Amino acid sequence: MTTIVNSAGPSRPVSGGSFDHTSAPGGTVLRSSAGLAIRGLRSIRRLPSAFIPALMMPIVQAIAFSGTFFAITKIPGFPTDRSINWYLPLACCMGAGFSGIGIGFSTIRDLETGFFDRLRMAPTPTASLILGPLFGAWIRMMIVVTSVLAVGFAIGARLTGGVLGIVNLYIAGFGVATVASGWALGLAYRLKDMRAAALMQLTFFNAIFLTNAQAPLFVMSGWLHTIARVNPFTNILRLARTGFLGTVTWDDTWGGLVAIAGMGAAAMYFAWRGLRELGN
Amino acid sequence: MIASASQKSPIVARGLVRHFGDVKAVDGVDLEVHAGEIFGFLGPNGAGKSTTVRMLTTLLKPTAGTATVAGFDVVKQADSVRRSIGVALQDAAIDPLMTGNELLELQSVLYGIPAGSVRQRADELLERVGLTAAADRRVGTYSGGMRRRLDLALSLIHQPTVLFLDEPTTGLDPMSRITLWEEVRRLNSEGTTVLLTTQYLEEADQLADRVAIIDHGVIVQQGTPTELKAAVGAPTLLITVSASQAEQATSTLSRFGELRPTAEGSLGVGLVGGARQVTDVVRALDEAGVSVHHLELNEPSLDDVFAEATGHRLEGAGASSSNDDDVSPAAEDGSEPTRGRRGRRRSR
Repeated sequence: MTTIVNSAGPSRPVSGGSFDHTSAPGGTVLRSSAGLAIRGLRSIRRLPSAFIPALMMPIVQAIAFSGTFFAITKIPGFPTDRSINWYLPLACCMGAGFSGIGIGFSTIRDLETGFFDRLRMAPTPTASLILGPLFGAWIRMMIVVTSVLAVGFAIGARLTGGVLGIVNLYIAGFGVATVASGWALGLAYRLKDMRAAALMQLTFFNAIFLTNAQAPLFVMSGWLHTIARVNPFTNILRLARTGFLGTVTWDDTWGGLVAIAGMGAAAMYFAWRGLRELGN
Repeated sequence: MIASASQKSPIVARGLVRHFGDVKAVDGVDLEVHAGEIFGFLGPNGAGKSTTVRMLTTLLKPTAGTATVAGFDVVKQADSVRRSIGVALQDAAIDPLMTGNELLELQSVLYGIPAGSVRQRADELLERVGLTAAADRRVGTYSGGMRRRLDLALSLIHQPTVLFLDEPTTGLDPMSRITLWEEVRRLNSEGTTVLLTTQYLEEADQLADRVAIIDHGVIVQQGTPTELKAAVGAPTLLITVSASQAEQATSTLSRFGELRPTAEGSLGVGLVGGARQVTDVVRALDEAGVSVHHLELNEPSLDDVFAEATGHRLEGAGASSSNDDDVSPAAEDGSEPTRGRRGRRRSR
């Protein structure tokens, strides 16, 4: 039988160290996070019903919005002559958000069943309990965004910004997935039940739609215009659309990167604090 | 710093308190579990057993008090505690979508088992708990007993010397329970210190070297089962009479010894003279005109210890908490049933 001994341990026993015991070395951040991410991916295959809505919703949105609001391209100054070019990046960002919220749902399930206690008791850095699901959300996001893009191109979307435009779209996807994951995990850790699920969806939908999601800022007015102007998601959507509304410019890019960095850090901190407070 | 006398005790708690709002779930628990023993933590649902375990296993911060596990402070050195202990929590919370193998692999990763040793360790543990054949099946298809055994295997992945088992047999059928008991004994014989919470009297009696009885967040008795039962002293004579004759019967019984708490509908008395005194009691009841429907003489049990200490019988003892009947799992096992668990009243 293999004996795993780490006699040095990470710290000295307060009782003087005379108690003889074996101790696990503990998982590393990367290895543990990868293990948890793989677990999340397995659940996609084994419980597809939990993933398919997150995949189908943005596809349906892309088709429905571009079809229903095709006349939006007639607005003077509208940056594209194809409505799908406007709505496709939005659908991709929505899908990225669903990917983040999806791991929030999984975490609620783990908290409710007690599986999360098993994870918390493991001698692995706390960060891996957040990074593992986040990695899982990123992989889900890649699947969703790639699928939505494929459908979008099939129904007439045209890439105007080249490869850099696609890169920007995926960066926006990673950003939205990160923000949504941090927010969803933070809520899950604090509320510990399905109340968190409702709040995740409600707040995410509001945050993403109170932007230039449906129409450009210059056609908006009043309070909606004010909110959309200051909403950091507007900048992320602008970043996501760079490849579909002309050429990629730094002016359209940097705001989104700043928004992702700021909101991503805030969301991760929100999640980390929630996790730390679970035992209080 | 814990006193030097406790240096070789893997689990030590001093004045452990946990409040949830106004509720005092644990109210000053003092514990010392010696190396190499099976320590039973016995109490009814809601007594504070699981909350105590959650504090000792670093899942919950104490409101007050201190505790060390494997020599490490559970608050200040939580990570070191986690490296040293194995825990199987109540309800065997296992992801039903994963297979036994996958769960063991994930557990290995989280505990930092070298990648090259993971497969061997997982195979050893699966064999040990008799799940080799089911290793690639999703846990959702496992029976309750299989899930518990897998839970135990998961808790042993890093070969801990201190093992916490929170109600490991609750809800299991008698055969599964016995299998798990055997495994716990085997682990203990290999040197593992075990803290086991249970609401089953028989489990504590059978497995534990020492027992702490907890009620309303406070430890009311502590010692070896033999010591605790001996302290109760006399065996209990239980009788059942009609309600109209209960007062007369109580008066008669009180002449023979101390009245004891019993289940609703029956009366109990500690017979100092033991079995030899039963005839005298029956004769006295007959003379008093009391018609006895049922009579039995029970040697002191942990339930008597619990009743002596708290004034009421152990709620749900020996039965699944959802069961409304009055028959314990001990009775399901074919052994002597434990009586007097529901609808308690103190008869003295």
